[in-house]
Amino acid sequence: MNPDDVGDYMLPLEEALDDEGLLFTRDDDDDALRIAFKSEGDRYFIISYRDDPSFVMLGSGWALPAEIDVDDAIDVANEFNVRKKFVKTAVWEDQRDVLFTVELCVSSAGEVRPHVGRLLDVLRETAAEFFDDLGEGDDED
Amino acid sequence: MTLVRDTVAAFIQEEGHKVDVSVIDESDGVAELLFRTRGQVFSVTTHERNPDFYTLATAYEIPDLARENSNNTETLAIVQGEYPEVHFTMAHDGGLFIAAAQEQPGSPEAFTRAFWDVVNRVRDAGNTAIERIVDRTESKAAADKFINSLTMGER
Repeated sequence: MNPDDVGDYMLPLEEALDDEGLLFTRDDDDDALRIAFKSEGDRYFIISYRDDPSFVMLGSGWALPAEIDVDDAIDVANEFNVRKKFVKTAVWEDQRDVLFTVELCVSSAGEVRPHVGRLLDVLRETAAEFFDDLGEGDDED
Repeated sequence: MTLVRDTVAAFIQEEGHKVDVSVIDESDGVAELLFRTRGQVFSVTTHERNPDFYTLATAYEIPDLARENSNNTETLAIVQGEYPEVHFTMAHDGGLFIAAAQEQPGSPEAFTRAFWDVVNRVRDAGNTAIERIVDRTESKAAADKFINSLTMGER
């Protein structure tokens, strides 16, 4: 897919967010097309790169609370990456951030449109389960 | 002075959701705010004369296979017992039911602080009710099939 041929190829994803009743903003630059939005107060993003328009990533980033041990977070992330459909969980140790992403290879962003609700659900549920698991781990200690 | 409906609508928008505000009764200051989350439309009823009182509601369509089930009202009553803060109302000749929570949080700001908890409680109650209604329908269908096989006897 050549972005010069298809114009703004993120429009189907904007329409999908519109269908979901969500507000969003665009922040494009020379390298990437980005959509930022919130759902139930949590922040999400969709990004695609101009030199690789077949790649689309949906995600949400969270700060690790101070009381969570980074090694425990990495253990949970690894377990999720084995078990979870769609979602990749990555812990950025230095920044103490955790990133939940769904990475897709598509011939058109329109292919993603009917699945945006499901992908948001799995991102939301994975983040909730991640922090629940770490909270339960603290309790067990 | 900021209207109650504007405070709540601004909160929902700030949380990322489009909001449709309709004034139901201008003289009494009653308004309905509609927004969508996780594929479901919710309504919030606000009262300018009573900023302590809110209703948050959503509708659930009963699956076709379960609409004729005579136990649906009873099932809703059982589930309502498990979620005492949520009230179910059958509508459209049993084609759907409304799940609603009435809140008296003290102020618009207090309502917005608890907002997603209320949405979650209503959603949990509604989803549980749908699951039970479908379960009972499938159980009844299985029982009917079993009874029919017994009454038919051997040829």
